[in-house]
Amino acid sequence: MRTGFRRTVLAALIASAATIGTAQARTPADTLVYGTSLAQVISLDPHQGQDVTALEIMANLYDRLVASTPDGKLVPQLAASWEVDASAITFHLRPEALFASGRPVTAEDVVWSLTRLMQLNQAPASKLSLTGYTKDNIADLLHVIDPHTLRIDLTGDVAGDLLMYRLSEVATSVVDRDLVEPNDVEGDLGNAWLRNHAAGSGPFSLQAWRPNDIVLMNARPDYWGGAPELSRVVMRHVPESQIERLMLERGDIDIAGALSSGDIAYFRDAGEVGIQAIPTGGFYVLAMNMEKPELADPLVREAIFRSIDYAGIQSAILGPYGTERHVPVPAGYADAVADPPDWSFDPDAAKALLAESDYPEGFALTIKTINQTPRVEIATAVQAGLARIGIRASVVQGSGADIVSQHRGRDFDILIPQTGSYMPNVMGAMEQFSSNPDNRKEANNAGNFVWRSAWDIPELTKITAQALRENDPAARSLLFTQMQEQFIEAVPAVFPMFERFQPIGVSKRVEGYHGHPQNVVRLDAVTKTE
Amino acid sequence: MLNTRLLTGRLGQLVLSLFVLIAVTFVIGRMLPTDPVGAIVGELASPEAYEAMRVRMGLDQPLIMQFFRYVTDLLQGDMGVAAMTGNPVLQDLAIAAPATLELATLAIIISFVLGVPLGLAAALRRDTWVDQVARIISLVGHSIPVFWFGIIGLIVFYAWLGLIGGPGRVDVFYEGLVPPVTGMITIDSLIAGRFDIFGNAMSHIILPAMMLAYAAMAYITRMTRAFTLEQLGQDYVTAARAKGASQTRLLFRHILPNIAVQLITILAISYGGLLEGAVVTEIVFSWPGLGQYMTNALLIGDINAVLAATIVIGIVFMVLNFLSDIAYAMLDPRTREAR
Repeated sequence: MRTGFRRTVLAALIASAATIGTAQARTPADTLVYGTSLAQVISLDPHQGQDVTALEIMANLYDRLVASTPDGKLVPQLAASWEVDASAITFHLRPEALFASGRPVTAEDVVWSLTRLMQLNQAPASKLSLTGYTKDNIADLLHVIDPHTLRIDLTGDVAGDLLMYRLSEVATSVVDRDLVEPNDVEGDLGNAWLRNHAAGSGPFSLQAWRPNDIVLMNARPDYWGGAPELSRVVMRHVPESQIERLMLERGDIDIAGALSSGDIAYFRDAGEVGIQAIPTGGFYVLAMNMEKPELADPLVREAIFRSIDYAGIQSAILGPYGTERHVPVPAGYADAVADPPDWSFDPDAAKALLAESDYPEGFALTIKTINQTPRVEIATAVQAGLARIGIRASVVQGSGADIVSQHRGRDFDILIPQTGSYMPNVMGAMEQFSSNPDNRKEANNAGNFVWRSAWDIPELTKITAQALRENDPAARSLLFTQMQEQFIEAVPAVFPMFERFQPIGVSKRVEGYHGHPQNVVRLDAVTKTE
Repeated sequence: MLNTRLLTGRLGQLVLSLFVLIAVTFVIGRMLPTDPVGAIVGELASPEAYEAMRVRMGLDQPLIMQFFRYVTDLLQGDMGVAAMTGNPVLQDLAIAAPATLELATLAIIISFVLGVPLGLAAALRRDTWVDQVARIISLVGHSIPVFWFGIIGLIVFYAWLGLIGGPGRVDVFYEGLVPPVTGMITIDSLIAGRFDIFGNAMSHIILPAMMLAYAAMAYITRMTRAFTLEQLGQDYVTAARAKGASQTRLLFRHILPNIAVQLITILAISYGGLLEGAVVTEIVFSWPGLGQYMTNALLIGDINAVLAATIVIGIVFMVLNFLSDIAYAMLDPRTREAR
């Protein structure tokens, strides 16, 4: 017994000495290892979770009716084909699609999932509620035709082809009704259970998720699209950029998702790692609260626009994170209009504008931001710009939960939020900047960025709604141009400063990983070399 | 042999301090301007959904009712559900605590094994080069931030030399291969007979454990030196020396038994400190322990998780204190005989 124990200890010591000597670094060729912060991953229920990393994970556990490519084309996913007419969209599902449980995906599951999305009424529900679907009307607008055919009636608020983009997002993922429904606790539609389980038909299944540690996904050999090339995907919690850089360099991770611009610059010249700047279609925004009288004065707002050294911020702070842009539509999108020339950096013009306003002596305000790169640095640069023209700003940093709740409650002067785009057209990028149906405080439309800034824009809201409904491409394109022109004319309280990119570091061993603006990269086609 | 009245008194104190700890943490937690509801329902949720979640989390109740409910549940062993993970807090802690325990235990062993001899040597060779070296070592350990030190350690031993495993508890291809028994991978891998995984886990734990150990060792060295010097000035040491006792005999027969009680207290304090103070180390080394769990919970205002982690750490501290008191009583003849 005693010698047995001694031998065990000895064997263990030798083994550990051997491994310490030759610490294995490169990840196996059949496993993709993704290092990023998992701190915000708090739910893997696709009808609840919304963190970008959670979206990446769920995009591989679940299928949607349709998908979109990184450059914005709609492609079939669960639906092999569909027809759009003036009043409805009819989808024909693939009969061969199976859930991870082995059960076929039916039209019944799709309808139940979309209904669940609206009834659960968490943040992702806003994706459909903005198009007129609510938890009360959704059941009447969805129809099962046969086990593999379903119809979605249009609400009249949105054109069919625009709705299709909503249906390509993780929020509209199809869940396995037979697995989720029995886990309903006190009418939560299985939410407590699905938060840390998976019930999808995607190319990977969930082996384990340990919060703030690791997510393990295994390839499904029976996936309808064919077994993935990789056999395993590991998401590892690596919150520190410098540590991520070391691990990426050593080959312990293949993709690094939370690198600072300094560490990104480091890899610019390194041979083993490539940098992808994923266009999000969104913006770093200067949100001004119109309830503050000084900021309600358009002259003051314009003075602020012109006080900020955008080129300086871009070169010193943002690097791959962003490029200057002041119309909330990426310059590369169809129908995008040019930046107005008189919003560029010009401190003298800014001073003149302020002198002309009701506040020539300047005033004091606070700039609130989430304590996160690069927003803190942007806030500091804005503060310096304002100081130049006599506006005394102090920067207040806080955690995401803190700052967002103050933003929701209109409790700020200036705040630096960021947006994203849900489809590659004017509407997808701009809707968050141009629609505010009811600006009254009682309306409490806290999910709406424009409402949070108390920016009352009935005319712009009307055109936006009209463009959403418009089926004719030429007429829609005209409205899109009008939206942007009106936005400029109104001197926005929700002011885009920079188009936002999400840079990631990808090992050259990885092939086929193309970052997606909506964080729905499918990993089944990704391969790795030895 | 042990005084039972002393024992019950100490136990009573323990329970009372625990209650105060819970009450204070609860109040502070509820007064923080964080928004756990927002963290769950998300930035774009409708006010209606927000309110529904607030009610579901019981945050619409008056503070005193919330506290009453919390304590009642706690007495039944229910620490609530973590907003952050959706799991019962107890289940989360059962994963996070062993990771920290593993790290802290290895660190305390290393720091004690190195720190006590170093302190003894420094005291016995006072004002010689040995003492100076010991002083410099402990000064450096005390003053260099773990964050910086950890990253430098990783750059040198992991990135340059490739001698050790990187951040995390094991290499990726070993993840999820050993069935969790204790939750400590070094031990679980031995139980499963997977020496390769044990070796890999050791190569991952060794650097963070050394980092933690170094800071603790600095303290232990200084204290050991001070205790020993105090003994060296005592009459009994002079008497023993006059009788011709050898240095070794002096050390093991006379000095060590006399400072053992004080060293145990130091051990308990350091161990407790390592269990709760590993936040930065855990972040640098992507170690999924209590410190990281608590920090993340605090950031989103997940009060159930924060409270539970505080209580666990509080209990650990109190139990360590309690045990060191008992050890005191057993080892020190004066306290043993006091009635």
